[in-house]
Amino acid sequence: MTSTPPPASSNPPSPPPRSPEERRAGFEREALVHLDALYRVALRLTGNASDAEDLVQETMLRAYRSWDRYTPGTNAKGWLLTILRHLFINEYRRRSRHPETVDVDTIEPFALFQEVQEEDPQGAFFDKIVDDEVLRAVDQLPEAFREAVTLSDVEGLSYEEVAKVLDVPVGTVKSRLYRGRRLLQAKLYEYAVSMGYIKGQAKK
Amino acid sequence: MRCRECVEHLYEYLDREVTPDLEAEMRAHIQKCPPCSEHFDFETLFLKFVRVRCRAQGAPVTLRRRILEQLLEE
Repeated sequence: MTSTPPPASSNPPSPPPRSPEERRAGFEREALVHLDALYRVALRLTGNASDAEDLVQETMLRAYRSWDRYTPGTNAKGWLLTILRHLFINEYRRRSRHPETVDVDTIEPFALFQEVQEEDPQGAFFDKIVDDEVLRAVDQLPEAFREAVTLSDVEGLSYEEVAKVLDVPVGTVKSRLYRGRRLLQAKLYEYAVSMGYIKGQAKK
Repeated sequence: MRCRECVEHLYEYLDREVTPDLEAEMRAHIQKCPPCSEHFDFETLFLKFVRVRCRAQGAPVTLRRRILEQLLEE
């Protein structure tokens, strides 16, 4: 795959030249505030902290170099995430250390609510699951589902924004979210049963 | 509206991605249908659970410092 330049939302007429200080201040104000979100997404994509840090640093550097192409006040978070994802695909994906994820075609429809409806319809068992287990479950999702769930459910992007970052139609985002959430529920359920947080239903 | 139709749009509704008309219709159904109401509450809780648990972690301070230093060099 060829390296893709950071996308510019459009090409507005060249803005008036800014001093380096103004430029940096603007970048810190609009881009650097999304550092936590970028890092979390990078962690979910690469699967390890050291690659995630490098990926985010590289993303910020590229974004800063093409900062003049960003229109102030537009969606900086989406713009940065798009750069990050391109970089990930072109330079990091090959060495990402994700364990082999499940085969998408073998996913069975699973609805957590139906499984726990009798025993724990209010989902009290959620409180017993530690953060690391939730992250582990997310990390086990196939990449296409993992990135949709991370961008939407964790970082709060709209369907339209997720579609833009992933460069897929909104309908695809919807179906990936649906299946990703179901799969995530299946993993959390399996874990909660194995820990005895819920009894679960006898295997059919 | 029937339960099946309501549940079919469950996530779009919770993600605030349905049209105002459909949203009103669904809200009316959920209000008078306890099983759907319970189901929607459960999925709301699930989505909130994922968001909160996965957002607990932020970028390391050292990373922020590295990036700021890098910007100064540019």
